[in-house]
Amino acid sequence: MALRSIWNGTISFGLVKVPVKLYSAIDPKGIAFREIHVKDTSLLQHRRVCKQENKVVERDEVAKGYEVRPGEYVLLSNEEVKAASGERPKTIEIDEFVDVEAIDPFFFNKSYFLGVRDVEEPYALLAAALRESGKAGIGRFTFHNREYLVALRAGEDRLFLHTLRYEDEIIEPGDLDMPEGRKKPTRKEVEMARRLVAGLTEDFDPGEFQDEYRAAVMDLIERKAAGKKPRKKRVRKREKPDDLAKALEKSLAAQGS
Amino acid sequence: MPRPLWKGTVSFGLVSVPVEMWSALRDRNIRFREIHTKDGSPVRHVRYCIDEGKKVDPSETGRAYELDDGRLIPITDEELEGLEPEKTQTIEIDSFTPRSQVDPLRFDHPYYLVPGDKTVGTVRAYRLLVEAMAEGDLLALGEFVMRGREYLAAIRVRGDVLSLSTMHFPAEVRSSEDVPGPAEVPGKEEVENAVSVIGERSVDWDPASYRNQHRERLMAVIKKKDKGKKIKPPAPAPEEKPTGAPDLMAALKKTLAESRGKRRKPRDLSGLSKGELYELASERGLKGRSSMTKQQLLKALRRG
Repeated sequence: MALRSIWNGTISFGLVKVPVKLYSAIDPKGIAFREIHVKDTSLLQHRRVCKQENKVVERDEVAKGYEVRPGEYVLLSNEEVKAASGERPKTIEIDEFVDVEAIDPFFFNKSYFLGVRDVEEPYALLAAALRESGKAGIGRFTFHNREYLVALRAGEDRLFLHTLRYEDEIIEPGDLDMPEGRKKPTRKEVEMARRLVAGLTEDFDPGEFQDEYRAAVMDLIERKAAGKKPRKKRVRKREKPDDLAKALEKSLAAQGS
Repeated sequence: MPRPLWKGTVSFGLVSVPVEMWSALRDRNIRFREIHTKDGSPVRHVRYCIDEGKKVDPSETGRAYELDDGRLIPITDEELEGLEPEKTQTIEIDSFTPRSQVDPLRFDHPYYLVPGDKTVGTVRAYRLLVEAMAEGDLLALGEFVMRGREYLAAIRVRGDVLSLSTMHFPAEVRSSEDVPGPAEVPGKEEVENAVSVIGERSVDWDPASYRNQHRERLMAVIKKKDKGKKIKPPAPAPEEKPTGAPDLMAALKKTLAESRGKRRKPRDLSGLSKGELYELASERGLKGRSSMTKQQLLKALRRG
């Protein structure tokens, strides 16, 4: 099925200009629930109420406000918010390149595909050069009046675009409250654990992973809709991790290595 | 008080590690409130029951699935948890896989896993998993259920702790084949030139060097408006003209000539004096800068 593009623009790679169309790479399949009033199983509405007048206010009667001093708001119109979106909303300027593999997975936010728009040659060239060099181009991308930091890279023969998180949005391990370990695992335990990991290491096969839970939720909904009882599952008992070495030995034995 | 988003056990083989899951993100967006323009008062959001014509307290709300015929089927948290009770408590590692084999577009939200309690056994089991995975850039893959949804998880060592990225299920990832691609194969010489340009403009990945310009500009707009000044939207820039086949080589050569020696040097703050750091801090409007030591300024500036 042909996808619908959500943005048109141009990638600027030095003096080479690449016209592209943007498509979302992800199609979320989560089940959308509605919010209800439990007592009478009826749908809920969200309403805006003015704190001062205690009256319902419509959407077109409100504006965005930023609290500059306690209780004091600066109001911005959509046009004024737009003024912060940058000067070249239709161009993604690629200033520099980094190794794709050097980008920590935590930085990848939303993912998109780029498609050819009008002329093929510059697109084909950029895709080939990025693929051959294993690099991602870093640039800025304006979408719905908001600027994003993006990484542009090549897949098989298409260009991919990822919005990136900024460094100050990511909590680093040093900021976490980690309990001090008084007793470290022994060398022998680590060695056994590595063997266990090695035995379980395999090529990535996405086909292995399916959202079975989603199917179970849909089944539950259908059973309830038909007035039947939901199915119940029982929990297996698990062993406690008090003897690490023994657990490792048993696991390795089960793995047959 | 912040709370963990999920509590349970990571298990690999017969080894179980009790963990807590925390988000790895902090919200740095500029938060707006909705303001009633007439009187400048903030607006509250309330839930309203149409049937009863009354306001509803959040504690009286639940979820329902709406069938095609409009019928609402209420579903409780208990029912959802009962479907896969094990997966609400345990992330069972199915397999480990090299990170290089997993396309970045699969990653969704980042979290950290920390030991679920401070007992010796738990902390040791946690450290064992860290040590076992530390060598080789590995992802441990498994599934778990949180707040009525199943997630695919990629657990990885980050620093010396366990991180977890939720991943989109394969069925949610579209095929790039469905997007118009090029039929042309680019010329060899052109690709070589383009690769050279990329080489000239390559730098080390240094996330601290990218500032959130959008936030800075939005803050500047707010401050200007606060002072009663007028905000002018920028004039729209003309659209770029595509570089067609006949001009491609010339454009590349010129770009290559311009790129030589223009590589951005990695930003090195450590060479700056305290005065210079302070100046940078004032430029960025860093709060509390006047009472900071040189080390504190350095740390704060590196955070962006």
